[in-house]
Amino acid sequence: MSLQSFSDRLLSEISEILARYPQPRAALLPILHACQRESGYISRDTETAVAELVGIPAIDVRETVSFYSLLLDKPAGKYHLQFCTNLSCTLLGAEESVAAACRKLGVHPGETTRDNRFTLTTVECLGACDLSPSLQVNDDYYANMSAEKVNELLDKLK
Amino acid sequence: MPTLTIDGQQVTVSKGATIMQAAEALGIYIPRYCYHPGLRVAGSCRMCLVEIEKAPKLDIACYRQAAEGMVVHTTTEPVKLARQSILEFLLSNHPLDCPVCDQSGECDLQNFYMEFGLYQSRFLENKIKRRKAFPIGRHVMLDNERCILCSRCVRFCEEVSRSHELGIVNRGDRSEIALREGSQLDNEYSGNVIDICPVGALTEREFRFQCRVWYLNRAASVCPGCSRGCNIELHYNVNRPHQSGGKRVLRLKPRFNAEVNKWWMCDEGRYGFEFIDAPSRLQDFEIRTAQRTVVASREQAVQTLSDWIGDSIDRHGSQSLGIFLSPKLSNEDLYGIGKFARHVGIDCLDFRNPSERPGYQDDFLIQADKNPNTRGCLELGLYRRSEDSGGWMAGEIQRGKVRVLIVFLQDLALAPEFQQVLGRLERLVFVGSNRNGTAEIASLVVPSATYAEKDGSFTNFEGRAQRFERAVVPLGSAVAEADLVASVAVSFGMQREEFERERLLSDLRREYPFFDQEALNPPELEWVYQTPIGQERL
Amino acid sequence: MMEKILSRHFFNAEARKLSFYLNDGGYEAARNALTQMTPQQVADQVIRSNLRGLGGAGFPAGRKWSFIPKDSPNPRYLVVNCDESEPGTFKDRHILEWTPHSLLEGIIIAAYAIGASQCFIYTRGEYLHYARMLQAALDEACQAGFFGKNIWGTGFDLDVLIHLGAGAYICGEESALLESLEGKKGWPRLRPPFPAVSGLFGCPTIINNTETLSYIPAIIRYGGSWFAGLGTPQNGGLRLYSVSGHVKNPGVYELPLGTPLREIIYTHAGGIRQGRKLKAVIPGGSSTPVLRADEIDVRMDFDSLAAIGSLLGSAGIIVMDESTCLVKALAVLAKFYHHESCGQCTPCREGTGWMARILNRILDGQGVRDDLENLLRVAGNIRGTTICALGDAAAMPVFSFITKFRDEFESHVLQGRCLASK
Repeated sequence: MSLQSFSDRLLSEISEILARYPQPRAALLPILHACQRESGYISRDTETAVAELVGIPAIDVRETVSFYSLLLDKPAGKYHLQFCTNLSCTLLGAEESVAAACRKLGVHPGETTRDNRFTLTTVECLGACDLSPSLQVNDDYYANMSAEKVNELLDKLK
Repeated sequence: MPTLTIDGQQVTVSKGATIMQAAEALGIYIPRYCYHPGLRVAGSCRMCLVEIEKAPKLDIACYRQAAEGMVVHTTTEPVKLARQSILEFLLSNHPLDCPVCDQSGECDLQNFYMEFGLYQSRFLENKIKRRKAFPIGRHVMLDNERCILCSRCVRFCEEVSRSHELGIVNRGDRSEIALREGSQLDNEYSGNVIDICPVGALTEREFRFQCRVWYLNRAASVCPGCSRGCNIELHYNVNRPHQSGGKRVLRLKPRFNAEVNKWWMCDEGRYGFEFIDAPSRLQDFEIRTAQRTVVASREQAVQTLSDWIGDSIDRHGSQSLGIFLSPKLSNEDLYGIGKFARHVGIDCLDFRNPSERPGYQDDFLIQADKNPNTRGCLELGLYRRSEDSGGWMAGEIQRGKVRVLIVFLQDLALAPEFQQVLGRLERLVFVGSNRNGTAEIASLVVPSATYAEKDGSFTNFEGRAQRFERAVVPLGSAVAEADLVASVAVSFGMQREEFERERLLSDLRREYPFFDQEALNPPELEWVYQTPIGQERL
Repeated sequence: MMEKILSRHFFNAEARKLSFYLNDGGYEAARNALTQMTPQQVADQVIRSNLRGLGGAGFPAGRKWSFIPKDSPNPRYLVVNCDESEPGTFKDRHILEWTPHSLLEGIIIAAYAIGASQCFIYTRGEYLHYARMLQAALDEACQAGFFGKNIWGTGFDLDVLIHLGAGAYICGEESALLESLEGKKGWPRLRPPFPAVSGLFGCPTIINNTETLSYIPAIIRYGGSWFAGLGTPQNGGLRLYSVSGHVKNPGVYELPLGTPLREIIYTHAGGIRQGRKLKAVIPGGSSTPVLRADEIDVRMDFDSLAAIGSLLGSAGIIVMDESTCLVKALAVLAKFYHHESCGQCTPCREGTGWMARILNRILDGQGVRDDLENLLRVAGNIRGTTICALGDAAAMPVFSFITKFRDEFESHVLQGRCLASK
């Protein structure tokens, strides 16, 4: 049923992905990424539809979606701010950037602003310790964050 | 065929056998949570860590294969410490709500703590809160706080029922057993997850708070739910009737049989025991005339039945008697009845209810024939070979040939063939455990014992005869069918001893060599799942 | 002697283009390998180079290849571990960004050596941007005929697929990576069988780290002995050291194995910022045992670090100066392992959360006398009892931090006082 709600573009992307893998299940993560790019998150209906496409039980897709931190099972804001709070970033003041962002947006880590523009999360090492404190906004990395730079960035994104 | 040494004892095992299996061959028990012989090895609970000489660290017995010359220790200090620490980890976030947990008494957290734990808890943190006690299907309750994530239930649903309802979602210590929203654990074998859950995470909705398990007694039995003959245990409570509202048999559990059902049974069989203590049970002998029904003593009833049989033979010959048997009767009862019938010359016998239709079946355990002993009836030849079903007997009644009919268990009044003709009988005798339409119109009602109330055997569809043992005494005045027949037969010059159970069994074995002699040995009880407190582990 | 191999053109955006790489002699090594050498000869050079796995475990790369069964009827796979998630490590990201063709050329050579015609590059999902750079390089190389069917007319086929992970540190563990690549959650597998025998889809699979493979073209081009000569006797060649934390110039430095840690911190990374004093260094990614300031004369190779009770790991160096609260630092690492434990086996699932909670309680001033012993005990109970190395990785920092900086921890627990100089 929900397969019909997939756009033609998404369906053709999915069939391209499936064609690249020796086994359909191996295409699961790329397909889920494609679905998330389309709708911002992966709904339960999407899980069911993907399970059907890949030919596995729906609970297996649920397990997978719930396991990986980049796969979202509820919508995030337009800008998903992911502050690295691992060691190198914390050593250089990541917590101040997080606190500044929380103050400015009026949210706690893990929350989304009421206008759905920003979701703020703290994440583990982004592999960008040379850029510490680092921040990922959607797909892009931002380097050497500070309270000041966070405020500037948020002003720009608003 | 590697030979290895475990705790100083040598054992030779087949190639590919694990240390766990080798230890079991030696009678050495290695504690485990995730390991279950009927499921793929998960290797995740780490409870079965053992010491292997020359290995850099402890290894899990459930997965590591035995190798030639391997020297394994299961009781050294490092092993004891590992078991203690695994228990400490598992219990760190466990709610310890044993006083209100149904699993108490058969919980492997409790048991192993007493055997391998006994440490002083040093966990000072707040325990993780999770969802408690909610139904996930018709028969099963889930308590996520008690779960230790052994994944047995998940693997069962993947590999055995192949229904894939359960999974482990999330990551790390946020992991938990879950179903998809809106879905249920509703496969035909769901109850097995309760058996294999080593803790109180999955409990049985029907059994919940019915009885503390240490008040339960057990009897080895055979499921009467279909012709598979799954080996089961009857768990019953007779010492504290107030705990379960007077119900005696409280649950059925599968009993391991490698050839028949392995560790499993279906829900249909598991929950099909209600009739044993149901209000519909017949408890009295009843003699019914057109005017009224009177409760009779056993002696009166036997006398009446003997008189009717003798009278009919005298007046119309033994052809005037019909016996409608049931494929739910045991081999012993069938044989006893058959013996008597032969003695007095009754050959109007059958057991095949013309209105019975095949039920649901699958490619695992569930058979379409919902009777436990059709094969036994066939082997004993208690039917008219020239006919396809027992409907022919209705014709015999219609033609006035059969005047007295003795019906065992079956509700013949429901069968269209018989509906019209039962009224033509001079005497209708019903022998059965539960009241039904046929009992309502019978002129003599004999309450009979259920399979839980007598010893006996059923022959499954493959021809495997399997014994079951009595769990509880017959309710009220109920009697085993063969005992009833014995009492009657005495009036016809037979010896009561000929109908004693062991005699019937030895006659059966002698006369019918197709009975699997091994299978007819008395059943043994083995704990294939949790170890009860105070029970010696096998 | 050439001083740098992979980092020669870091920060030059032109260098990621195929034309630039070809001008630099790129893909000649691969062409030579395929047209002039047998797979065994390729493997022999790699064995001679002393190249060790640079993802963290340090297993000799050439020997790993030799574990592929010779007689398996199944297809063989080459899988590139580009899931770089060990805190303090960012070298593979630099390879994707600045020299993707080194990796791709290494893949051709390695695939030829092990007889694989399909390669998967498993890249962590956060590296989407860098994976796209790699994809662009791959597209160029495919167009040039370096991938696909009948490469250089040798009859050798090779397809490469870049596969994005979805956010899970554990997927850097090779068997979890394979599970993830098969579309499952990243639960490490029980071993044996090892991936070389039964890996991806149950077929023989070699999993090599991005950096490891990227060095292979140079090894084939200049010879295994040349590469081995760049390092110490047991530890061949160069490697990329990621330096972060309280240094003036955090970044990736390509230096010989065996370079003293002091030299890396003070000469290459510019020393400690704001003229502060060094307090502690994690030498090889977050899980490797921490070193005190007086231990930094150690040479950065597998054996020298092992000799002082630490590990070279992924060579992710995290530098902490005197302002660092080491209780806080350990709590941050404990939070990480707690967050990333997959939850499959008991000790890691329960133990990582337990340790993190104790450390947070201590930071909140609620420590009790037994906490340090208990932390060491819990860490000890995790160590060596888990399915994969994440348990050990979570335990090691706890041992080393508490053992080496006991006074700081005791001060927090007993007096609620932080000894770090702010």
